[in-house]
Amino acid sequence: MKIRAAAAATCVVLALAGAARADTADGDALIGRDWDAIVETARGGEVNFFLWGGSDTINRYVSDYLGGVLAEEYDITLNRVGLTDTVEAVNIVNGEVEAGVTDAGSVDLVWINGENFRTMRQGDLAWCGYTATLPNDALVDWSNPAVANDFGVPVDGCEVPWNRAQFAFAHDSATLPEPPRDMGALLDWIRANPGQFTYPAPPDFNGSVFVRHVFYHVAGGADRLLGPFDQALYDEIAPQVWTLLNDLEPSLWREGRTYPTAITQLDQMFANGEVAFTFNYDPAQFGLAVDAGIYPDSVRSYGLTDGTIGNTNYTLIPVNSPNKAAALVLQNLILSAEAQLEKARPEVWGATPGIEISRAAPGIREAFADLPSHPSVVPYDELAAAALPELQAEWIAAIEAGWIENVGR
Amino acid sequence: MSRLPGPFLALLLVALLLPLVPLATWSVAHGWRFPDLLPRDWSLDAWAYALSPTAGVLRGLGLTAAIAGAATAGSLVIGLPAGRALGLYRFRGRAAVEILVLAPVLTPGIAAVFGLHALFLPLGLTNTVAGVALAHLIPVLPYTILVLSGVFAGYDTRAEYQARSLGASPFQVLRHVTWPAIRPGVIVAALFAFLVSWSQYLLTLVIGGGRVQTLPLQLFAFAGAGRADVTGAIAVVYVLPGILVLVLTSRRLTGRSAALAGFGR
Repeated sequence: MKIRAAAAATCVVLALAGAARADTADGDALIGRDWDAIVETARGGEVNFFLWGGSDTINRYVSDYLGGVLAEEYDITLNRVGLTDTVEAVNIVNGEVEAGVTDAGSVDLVWINGENFRTMRQGDLAWCGYTATLPNDALVDWSNPAVANDFGVPVDGCEVPWNRAQFAFAHDSATLPEPPRDMGALLDWIRANPGQFTYPAPPDFNGSVFVRHVFYHVAGGADRLLGPFDQALYDEIAPQVWTLLNDLEPSLWREGRTYPTAITQLDQMFANGEVAFTFNYDPAQFGLAVDAGIYPDSVRSYGLTDGTIGNTNYTLIPVNSPNKAAALVLQNLILSAEAQLEKARPEVWGATPGIEISRAAPGIREAFADLPSHPSVVPYDELAAAALPELQAEWIAAIEAGWIENVGR
Repeated sequence: MSRLPGPFLALLLVALLLPLVPLATWSVAHGWRFPDLLPRDWSLDAWAYALSPTAGVLRGLGLTAAIAGAATAGSLVIGLPAGRALGLYRFRGRAAVEILVLAPVLTPGIAAVFGLHALFLPLGLTNTVAGVALAHLIPVLPYTILVLSGVFAGYDTRAEYQARSLGASPFQVLRHVTWPAIRPGVIVAALFAFLVSWSQYLLTLVIGGGRVQTLPLQLFAFAGAGRADVTGAIAVVYVLPGILVLVLTSRRLTGRSAALAGFGR
């Protein structure tokens, strides 16, 4: 009797769990299908979008703008799940797939790039090969290697671009009107102004990219470092970089005895005037920080004349997403010229579009051209004039490990 | 059973409320940088965001309270009999049981949480509020059982026999003898349980799969991003209920804390 009751209860639970899945977990059934049919399948469903949740303006854009359009035009409910670190979403998907949950995962879409994308690719955690199914895929310039490769890992139809970003430095023009404009001059400035510069310890995302800029500087440019990891080349350049960075330590904040552990710590020190520079892979963050009152209005940002590293960030559908149709509709919306325009407005986010503006409708192109720029955010075109490619993930991992071994300790 | 002395209570309240002052100030500050003593400007933007439906902070407040309430109730249901047994009786293997009860406090949560996730997944408990509340029992129970066994260690069961011999029904004994004697300790145990559940981050994140957005999750997202203004606003929303509960129950707390009695004899 007891056993039968338990069995019945189990059946009910399983049935309920089954009913909760508006099953479009089978991605292959969607690939290449008529777009209107996919939209109809997605209608009335939900999509769980996992992304870094530390900006009120970005949260508003996602929940209110994207969520609003999804609800109004497609009757799809957008659940924005705020993360402290994207790796949390990767761990969730990984844990689910390892436990055999292959069609009822909790993540339908995740904002991602770089190391996290590599993890998902290597673990076969990303759904791939669907991007051409999206009508707005036509706006993406896949012939651009900076779009077709995510930190050197081929995208292979496993993710869709959201924003372009390029590394930039920020300074307070009220206290430092003329900052050093290239890496050599910056290093000289640091030596001449001890205690006023530092960088977050790798593997912090932004600290790590700063160290790569020094690597490029020592290597005499990025060209030699591109392509697969080359141990001999690494062994030639890395010791010079570690010597340079170790010799720089007496001129760093707290004489280099310690480093900030995260970019937010450097941002805080910059806000309080403890250091003269901060930097970020997404210069739009400087404008948002000024608007939030974190930085003074006099903060300005710039790239280096010898170039700064650029990347693209993406949205990805995990292989075990149960709502792939709704995730596709959301991705298509994200790629639309209208949504990219809204996101580019300085008061909304100020993000550089991931699509090719020249392929958008004439009205949208004009609207993009007419966008006001934030005085604290270096215009993307200005940055893009001296853009450096990102290294492949194996290079990045080697440099991070080398820094920790030779400089950090 | 005396109340806390007035000056001590006042001091306690000041100590509890003082950390709130910078948080509250941050939540209305616009531009508060070293070496300014006060913010340059004031703004309600952080509050406007925190209280907006987009942020989901108010939803998170209700959710956090519901989960903490459920975890508290569950921990009392398990903790009362367990505490009574551990507090009153000597039995073979009691030391082993005590260590087992304390194990969740002794082992770091991160060591267990992913295994727990794998355990909960096939049961359909991940990504659910019920699953998160159930998972919260793990860090909550040691505190509840520890406090309650301390309560029962100082409890004389002969009072129950006496009431029974005078003709009281088991329910009357429970209501008029047992409950009044253990009530302050049960309140302390419930407070502990509520606050331990209230502050869970990792368990909620992993078992809830990010879908169960309690206040600590929302708080960490902004604290991790260096947004002191929004963090301040959410933190005030987060801290106030705890202080409120403490103030409301402080009337019932006694000077001799039952929590300090440990596992008893």
